[in-house]
Amino acid sequence: MAGMKTASGDYIDSSWELRVFVGEEDPEAESVTLRVTGESHIGGVLLKIVEQINRKQDWSDHAIWWEQKRQWLLQTHWTLDKYGILADARLFFGPQHRPVILRLPNRRALRLRASFSQPLFQAVAAICRLLSIRHPEELSLLRAPEKKEKKKKEKEPEEELYDLSKVVLAGGVAPALFRGMPAHFSDSAQTEACYHMLSRPQPPPDPLLLQRLPRPSSLSDKTQLHSRWLDSSRCLMQQGIKAGDALWLRFKYYSFFDLDPKTDPVRLTQLYEQARWDLLLEEIDCTEEEMMVFAALQYHINKLSQSGEVGEPAGTDPGLDDLDVALSNLEVKLEGSAPTDVLDSLTTIPELKDHLRIFRPRKLTLKGYRQHWVVFKETTLSYYKSQDEAPGDPIQQLNLKGCEVVPDVNVSGQKFCIKLLVPSPEGMSEIYLRCQDQYARWMAGCRLASKGRTMADSSYTSEVQAILAFLSLQRTGSGGPGNHPHGPDASAEGLNPYGLVAPRFQRKFKAKQLTPRILEAHQNVAQLSLAEAQLRFIQAWQSLPDFGISYVMVRFKGSRKDEILGIANNRLIRIDLAVGDVVKTWRFSNMRQWNVNWDIRQVAIEFDEHINVAFSCVSASCRIVHEYIGGYIFLSTRERARGEELDEDLFLQLTGGHEAF
Amino acid sequence: MGESSEDIDQMFSTLLGEMDLLTQSLGVDTLPPPDPNPPRAEFNYSVGFKDLNESLNALEDQDLDALMADLVADISEAEQRTIQAQKESLQNQHHSASLQASIFSGAASLGYGTNVAATGISQYEDDLPPPPADPVLDLPLPPPPPEPLSQLVVKVHMNDNSTKSLMVDERQLARDVLDNLFEKTHCDCNVDWCLYEIYPELQIERFFEDHENVVEVLSDWTRDTENKILFLEKEEKYAVFKNPQNFYLDNRGKKESKETNEKMNAKNKESLLEESFCGTSIIVPELEGALYLKEDGKKSWKRRYFLLRASGIYYVPKGKTKTSRDLACFIQFENVNIYYGTQHKMKYKAPTDYCFVLKHPQIQKESQYIKYLCCDDTRTLNQWVMGIRIAKYGKTLYDNYQRAVAKAGLASRWTNLGTVNAAAPAQPSTGPKTGTTQPNGQIPQATHSVSAVLQEAQRHAETSKDKKPALGNHHDPAVPRAPHAPKSSLPPPPPVRRSSDTSGSPATPLKAKGTGGGGLPAPPDDFLPPPPPPPPLDDPELPPPPPDFMEPPPDFVPPPPPSYAGIAGSELPPPPPPPPAPAPAPVPDSARPPPAVAKRPPVPPKRQENPGHPGGAGGGEQDFMSDLMKALQKKRGNVS
Repeated sequence: MAGMKTASGDYIDSSWELRVFVGEEDPEAESVTLRVTGESHIGGVLLKIVEQINRKQDWSDHAIWWEQKRQWLLQTHWTLDKYGILADARLFFGPQHRPVILRLPNRRALRLRASFSQPLFQAVAAICRLLSIRHPEELSLLRAPEKKEKKKKEKEPEEELYDLSKVVLAGGVAPALFRGMPAHFSDSAQTEACYHMLSRPQPPPDPLLLQRLPRPSSLSDKTQLHSRWLDSSRCLMQQGIKAGDALWLRFKYYSFFDLDPKTDPVRLTQLYEQARWDLLLEEIDCTEEEMMVFAALQYHINKLSQSGEVGEPAGTDPGLDDLDVALSNLEVKLEGSAPTDVLDSLTTIPELKDHLRIFRPRKLTLKGYRQHWVVFKETTLSYYKSQDEAPGDPIQQLNLKGCEVVPDVNVSGQKFCIKLLVPSPEGMSEIYLRCQDQYARWMAGCRLASKGRTMADSSYTSEVQAILAFLSLQRTGSGGPGNHPHGPDASAEGLNPYGLVAPRFQRKFKAKQLTPRILEAHQNVAQLSLAEAQLRFIQAWQSLPDFGISYVMVRFKGSRKDEILGIANNRLIRIDLAVGDVVKTWRFSNMRQWNVNWDIRQVAIEFDEHINVAFSCVSASCRIVHEYIGGYIFLSTRERARGEELDEDLFLQLTGGHEAF
Repeated sequence: MGESSEDIDQMFSTLLGEMDLLTQSLGVDTLPPPDPNPPRAEFNYSVGFKDLNESLNALEDQDLDALMADLVADISEAEQRTIQAQKESLQNQHHSASLQASIFSGAASLGYGTNVAATGISQYEDDLPPPPADPVLDLPLPPPPPEPLSQLVVKVHMNDNSTKSLMVDERQLARDVLDNLFEKTHCDCNVDWCLYEIYPELQIERFFEDHENVVEVLSDWTRDTENKILFLEKEEKYAVFKNPQNFYLDNRGKKESKETNEKMNAKNKESLLEESFCGTSIIVPELEGALYLKEDGKKSWKRRYFLLRASGIYYVPKGKTKTSRDLACFIQFENVNIYYGTQHKMKYKAPTDYCFVLKHPQIQKESQYIKYLCCDDTRTLNQWVMGIRIAKYGKTLYDNYQRAVAKAGLASRWTNLGTVNAAAPAQPSTGPKTGTTQPNGQIPQATHSVSAVLQEAQRHAETSKDKKPALGNHHDPAVPRAPHAPKSSLPPPPPVRRSSDTSGSPATPLKAKGTGGGGLPAPPDDFLPPPPPPPPLDDPELPPPPPDFMEPPPDFVPPPPPSYAGIAGSELPPPPPPPPAPAPAPVPDSARPPPAVAKRPPVPPKRQENPGHPGGAGGGEQDFMSDLMKALQKKRGNVS
């Protein structure tokens, strides 16, 4: 035992005094002084500290942080000598888990307790377990960007902060499901709300906010983000993170393994959110057509998530089709409004007949819309001069199967046209139907017919409803008189297309131009369930040519100018900084080895056939590049090790290593 | 051998089961008259069956195939064999595809559904009479039940300039048709085989994707079309899966990559494919470059810079950069198919002959809605075409490929086995296929007998590699089939046969009779008769073909009977008044019964002799057989 004294009070053993501050790194923290020897074990020291503090408290999470060495003393059986601790060491006795504010991919803030003592890789894994996100190896943390305080201190509206800091997760076991959510979320109303925030898509952002948020204007801007990744082999404490700091949680590696809508609601949603923000903030570019699809999916996803239809996909089970029809028929009958007998309606083919105005654009014709008697049956549209002639031969008969249906609608102008592009052996014939209140039914019929289905299809009713809903959105959103029709701040419940597209499209199109295009794209996705729509969104995002490329500014050996290195899940890309052209691509599958010279911050890579590449990192530390490469290599091993525990050692081996230097 | 024989057994058993069912069913259907004149181009639309189940369809297809093979084969030879085998067989020769079709239609009416049997049937081919000479002929299969299943008789051009006709029903995918053709041609079944559609008028062509519904594609053709379907090998079809690096890693520095690419090893290819096709979303090859675009309605071509993305083809507008935000959409793939253009240098003054074309599948004539693009070289052309297919079809393409590989692998394994057995080649392919197709079960009855027969046959084959002897010895259709296989590839049957082809129609009457109920037991073998040459006139007499037959419109709505007469049988005498749709059978019965009866006797003995005949086949089967016999006999009579 340390601290043996003579009668005079002199210590006769080799013991010395060790001062330990209690609490987090606070210069004015209270401190206790212990008498220790070099042989004292850390565990004994901990015990003594607790005794001295003499406070009833759960100290189990506390450990000693050695400030000068930036190191936790976690090996309780090690002696002070083994750690090399002398009397001048500044030690802090503090909790290993501390609260941080996590900015999720959906941009919401969440307070939770993260491990400050484990390597970040494990800390992220724990966070993901808490949030019930599988495959935590794909995510990591970034430092929050420094806020520019120069601007006038605009009072940002205090945003809602979700709090999970009190939730403690039992180790080891995967959290059980309770009431449709992991059990630890079901404790209180707050945590339940938190789970909904995590697992359900957020409503579209305010377009004004969207315009205000910083967007990268060049490739070099895009490199900024990647300089902020934390090091996954070191703990938060070692990286200068303090309790209460804000961190971003993001999918770092664009290699999403085994994405399963059924088991991954949070992961899917957060991934969708990250993709969505990527697009909205122009981190990744897409074409106009692609943007419309993304917007339509967002609209659809938002609609479903607002209406609470989180669950089942709509109409995916063809077996239910007939049942649905029968039920709806029955319903109609019970309501007494059925025009015909139930049996009739089940067996007869539904058709639409009405006076519509038809316009067929032709060269050198000045004729406009003309009224016709139009009959729509099965997938065929026939029109006659008048109703009287209907039994005879129609003027024209068009089979709409395979045709293109384009809405041409202006709600405020009371214009409801359907443009049909009908294929025939000779080419496409174009025809416009001008409807009034029948629009939704005819439109729905045309859409189904173009897919080869008839109005007997069970999706007909929902299609009609969807069209009506969309029209009403336009009415409230952009059509209403006196209500800044085209302003970005139209009423909240209306569709504001500006919240769905990147700002550059806001500049390019008026809202009323965007709406019909989004509507048009929406018709292809209207039947998707929430999860399917999110998955579709993610897939479309993944299909973009620039998807999944993390940019770093580097300087290649022998080159005099900075260039961009793009790191994707399967390749490295050398990109011209000024023009953005791809100069060269190297695939990981051809890579023999890579080395990092930490002193000169240079990464050297050898590929097959003795191709050697070396570059120094400019915008980010070479550790980040190294970790990206190692991380992707690691992720590519997962298919083989499917179902096995995550091989953390392998990950750290592939991504760490620099500590040796 | 054991395996193959088992397969065959299974096929037999399923077949027998089917027949049972058929017999049980009332056999109501009337058979449609065949179209004597091969009207227009390659394919005619034949009838729609209504409730037929897939299995039935399959059977029919097989029968047709068999018929075709028979055509190829020497008639006399076939007859001899048949005689040896069974007396009935002679009569059976008349048996035509239509007959079989009718049978099946009857089954269909019953609503009995099995997936199976058809595939197995091919084995019978040898025994069967030669198919109608004219592939073009339409076999109308008549019964028009409430929901007709449309079928087309499709003439497929082989690479040796011969043609084969097959019946394709509306549910069959290109893959199924290919499988059929594999059986008929005994080719090597490799993945490059494809159905290939050619538009002579537009000078464009493309392969059917394996998942495409053949009838649907054909229904876009106009009635007087010159379009053709070819069966041939195109290595472009799945080139991306064989050498993915040529498509995925080829973008920059062509020379350099070319060298390295060729060295790519199998493992890297595999991982590249996995990466590109097995992720959450597939990866479309990055493809961009200057192409020539034909200007609408003109013969001038403009060079533009195009880029391929998953969402479509884009181009760089004048004065813009090729960043995503500047791109203008040229076309999206949802409503268009991609075709190769041939000789467009001549036709449209294209800068090169490496052209591809995008058009809506329904467009058949020159139109401003057809987009013509022209590449600098064939490599670029192939990259674009493949890239567009990947973008359009996505993972389906890969799935198709894997199925094709599985098929090819199976086939090659079988052929290897078969090498021992001279007769074997055909069997291998059919064997596995049947096995897979086999549905539920009616199989049990036939199994033993069939297997025994097969084994015997196989023994023969093994001992004497000479196919012919084996054939002669065995009544079993399976055995003979092998020898015929080579013949199948032969050129189309002589004109004489054509008349016979019409005979196919007579089959319908036969069927009707069968339903009527001859109690004679006909061995399954017999039921595949040689084709007879009935006079075309017969056809008109037959019940009017189902409306579908005449017009295979996209919607498959059957056209009115009159139209049929006008089109197919314009020259022929007007068809007799059509019997009510549900019970067409009566009419044929009245017409045909006598001849059929006369010939029947021979059949029964054979059947008994046949070890394969299972007790289970039962009376129903016999009825069926007897009907067939009648039909055949009648045909015979007509011919004589």
